[in-house]
Amino acid sequence: MKSKIFVILKKEMRELFRDKKSLAMMLIIPFLIPVLVLGMSALFEFQMKEDEENKQLYFAYELTEMEKEIAEALELKVIIQSEEELTENLKQEKIDFYIGKDKNKNPNSFVINKGDITTNTALATLFIEHYKQQLQSNYLIENNLNPNLVLNMVTVEENVVDEKATEENYFANYIKNYAFLFIMMAIVVSATYPATDTTAGERERGTLETLLTFPVKSRDIIIGKYLSITLSSIITGIISLLLATVSLGISQQLFSLYKGLHMIYSMESIFYGIVVIIVYSFFISGLCIAIASKSKTFKEAQSALTPLNFISFFPGMIAFMIGTKSSLLLSCVPFLNFTMLFTDITNGTIHFGNILVMILSSVFYISLVLVFIIKQYKSERVLFVK
Amino acid sequence: MIVVEHVTKEFEKNINKREKVKFFADQDISFSASDGEIIGILGPNGAGKTTLLRMLAGILEPTEGVITFDHLNYQENEIEIKQQIAYLSGNTKIYDTLTTYELLKMCCDLYDVPKEKQENRIKEITDILKMTPFLYNKIANLSTGQTQKVNLARCLVHDPKYYILDEATTGLDIIASQIILDFIKKEKKRGKTILYSTHYMEEAENICDRVIMINKGKIIKEGIPDGIKKETKTTNLRDAFFSLLGGHNHEE
Repeated sequence: MKSKIFVILKKEMRELFRDKKSLAMMLIIPFLIPVLVLGMSALFEFQMKEDEENKQLYFAYELTEMEKEIAEALELKVIIQSEEELTENLKQEKIDFYIGKDKNKNPNSFVINKGDITTNTALATLFIEHYKQQLQSNYLIENNLNPNLVLNMVTVEENVVDEKATEENYFANYIKNYAFLFIMMAIVVSATYPATDTTAGERERGTLETLLTFPVKSRDIIIGKYLSITLSSIITGIISLLLATVSLGISQQLFSLYKGLHMIYSMESIFYGIVVIIVYSFFISGLCIAIASKSKTFKEAQSALTPLNFISFFPGMIAFMIGTKSSLLLSCVPFLNFTMLFTDITNGTIHFGNILVMILSSVFYISLVLVFIIKQYKSERVLFVK
Repeated sequence: MIVVEHVTKEFEKNINKREKVKFFADQDISFSASDGEIIGILGPNGAGKTTLLRMLAGILEPTEGVITFDHLNYQENEIEIKQQIAYLSGNTKIYDTLTTYELLKMCCDLYDVPKEKQENRIKEITDILKMTPFLYNKIANLSTGQTQKVNLARCLVHDPKYYILDEATTGLDIIASQIILDFIKKEKKRGKTILYSTHYMEEAENICDRVIMINKGKIIKEGIPDGIKKETKTTNLRDAFFSLLGGHNHEE
């Protein structure tokens, strides 16, 4: 029995590796990962540097000496232009905002003019806040009062526990997590095409009828097919992991935003990463083959499998966005568990219990799917799907 | 020996999105085929020949009735029966991404041909069917005749006892058809049982020991070609068939 499963597996793998479309589906997403990692890293780094360099404020009036001192202390570049000129630049989106003064009110009535309601004017607010504090301090000193006692009656400090957690690391984490989310996506895409081709495609081409005349149990046929899809997904997953790790490694060398960030370089992390890839490949391949085998034609199978790409991607993405942490319970939730555990592994926080629960629950789901597919292939309906 | 007893096959088809109707593709079919016999299954398109042969090949399951091969039935001995069968139809498709050699090797493995005998068996078949020039070519690149030779070769690797051939010459040119017909005659001499379905009545008349005429899923006549012609007072099986239909010279 085992050898016949192997014969079917060999046949399927030969067909898979000789089909350009299948190969493209296996490799297209993995090779997008380095592009994504390096591209996004370069983009974020460039953006950050640009923000750093572009600390400039536009004013529609001549600054007082005190204002000039504050701007200097805040390392701000001051650009003074006429109100008309600045308004025109704002309309043409050449600048985001400028600071003016309401001449009808007192000399310290500032107006922040901005292009639209969503424009971030934090730099202008910061400047005005400092100016206000300076005026208040001066007033208190003139009245023989200690400005520190009056102005700092209430103080607020933000204490960041994680020393490594800087703004830069937020972007780096973002890129890293998306890179590993792409591995999950690559596995799904890699499983989708062969699952369609080996079931609905084979039926459409007429070779399924030939295959069913061989002295092979339908169970062995479907297990052989299932293993071939799983194997192709595992190959894709491992290539993706390799490319993600290498490209993150290169990015860490090239870009400062990765400073102090934990990467998936330890043998333990890589081992658990591969475990998640293998289990996920078994799970997703079973699901793909179950859906595709119920479809009449290749096209119908492709349409039926399209939502799976989104279903596999979204739970992980949403969990990542809202910051959900993995737990024993969530480790049982298909799709979500793989992404969350992968995120844990890449962050170096491996929970063996969660991984075990994910494996056990996946074995249960895979068994259910396999029972369904074997039943489907045992029946002649597999040839004449209605 | 093949024994078919009261075999019926019922299908469902959609007449519109909500309604389905049941119909019989084959109804109460019974016959037997002895070793070394060529049985012709004759009838127009849609008569139920392909469904019957698919049931004999174990691809479809009869709704009612029993099919046995040397007293073995599909419910209990599916693998043993399939080891003894070769099924070839005019529509049989093979894996065109494989080479001829890879396909034959795969068939040897699936039919449990011992590893040490596989190379000899492939060489033997390749020589008989003159396939050496394209043994290592991809099947996708072969001509129709060459592909049919490969299809035939795949049926021979395990030296089966029973051949189920469904419209095997349909769509083939005269040379490719002759390869199949010569092959059938040779295998009969070796004591193999051949079930041969065709709608070419003349072809059946030439090679079949007995014929079974089917129309609308039912056997309308069974016997030796000469006997049927004599009984229907006709000179060929085509006329005999129409005579049995009541003189209507058209296919339904």
